Amino acid sequence: MISAVIIVLREVLEGVLLMCMLMASSAAMGNRLRWLPVGLLLGVAGAYSYAVFLDPISMLFEGLGQEIISAVMLLSAALALVVYVHLIASRALRPASDKPSRAVLALCLLAAALSISREGAEVYLYVYAFGVQAGQMASIMSGAVIGTGIGLSFGTFFYYGLRALSRKACLWTCAGIATMTSAGLVMQATYNLEQADLLPGQQPLWDTSALVRESSLTGEMLQAAFGYEATPTAVQLSLYLASVLACLAAMALARLHATKRQETST
Amino acid sequence: MPWLAALALVLAGAAGPAALAQTPEVEIQIREHLFFPAEVRIPANIKVKLIIRNLDTTPEEFESYELNREKVIVGNSQGVVFIGPLAPGEYPFFGEFNPRTAQGKVIVE
Repeated sequence: MISAVIIVLREVLEGVLLMCMLMASSAAMGNRLRWLPVGLLLGVAGAYSYAVFLDPISMLFEGLGQEIISAVMLLSAALALVVYVHLIASRALRPASDKPSRAVLALCLLAAALSISREGAEVYLYVYAFGVQAGQMASIMSGAVIGTGIGLSFGTFFYYGLRALSRKACLWTCAGIATMTSAGLVMQATYNLEQADLLPGQQPLWDTSALVRESSLTGEMLQAAFGYEATPTAVQLSLYLASVLACLAAMALARLHATKRQETST
Repeated sequence: MPWLAALALVLAGAAGPAALAQTPEVEIQIREHLFFPAEVRIPANIKVKLIIRNLDTTPEEFESYELNREKVIVGNSQGVVFIGPLAPGEYPFFGEFNPRTAQGKVIVE
């Protein structure tokens, strides 16, 4: 049961930070959470299909289907977050308004569905194989429920923490989290492409595993927060920085528009 | 479109040496939630293709923090994972669904 708690908690924690950021920012932009039920539903449907068809998916592209599809999902989510950062920054620079935005809705939906699909598929495979098939339903399910519960309570705490901030502080914090999360997703996509030999594997530039091991709890949390990697290679680092720069550029663009708006109005 | 032919040549040139050089293959089996062999020895500074065969009926996730690898292999199936080039050292891996028993390491020398 303890391994079930840990396995499920790890998956839930990876997604919970992103979900909290999406929820808090979309609420602060006056959108309420109308996308949430649909996002959850799409995510669960995505996770189920991905898990059920994992064998044929893995066989695609000469056995590299899993890596290629994961990389496409990760990069799409990362791209959605770059655009989302631009929207958050634009809203933060304007006076508060309760006008809902279709773009915000669509991006939240996409990012949530992609994230839940990826994390959920692993949970489903694990619970189905070791709970249902192996007849360990009681212990695996109770472990999964406890793991999900811990993850969600952490999420609730974090969500209300973000909501307690002023509107502007909440939006800028969310833009920062989205920037880090997006870079973390790009990092994971890079691992997948290296695993499939589509990007070259390289010797690491440095090794900080003596400071924080990736397998430690701190390492796991840092990895979920911003894609911490103890032994990054040049390719990994460049793509990571490119993604951070893309988000910063998205924020700068929002500021540029805001300045122009002010100039024309005065 | 001459530029297209030129691009094709450049791409073929880039892919050529990689395709010509043989990538060594190493097979790892999963049986009863254990890895066989549990210790895989590979040479330093070259790319290696790991073929992971899961002979159990249950799925397993081949995972390694040190190698940055993560791949689900469903029951009675197999998967390919490229690793390296790596510096000499030990790189542990484990089966995420059975982390207590399914443990192994890649020894690079």
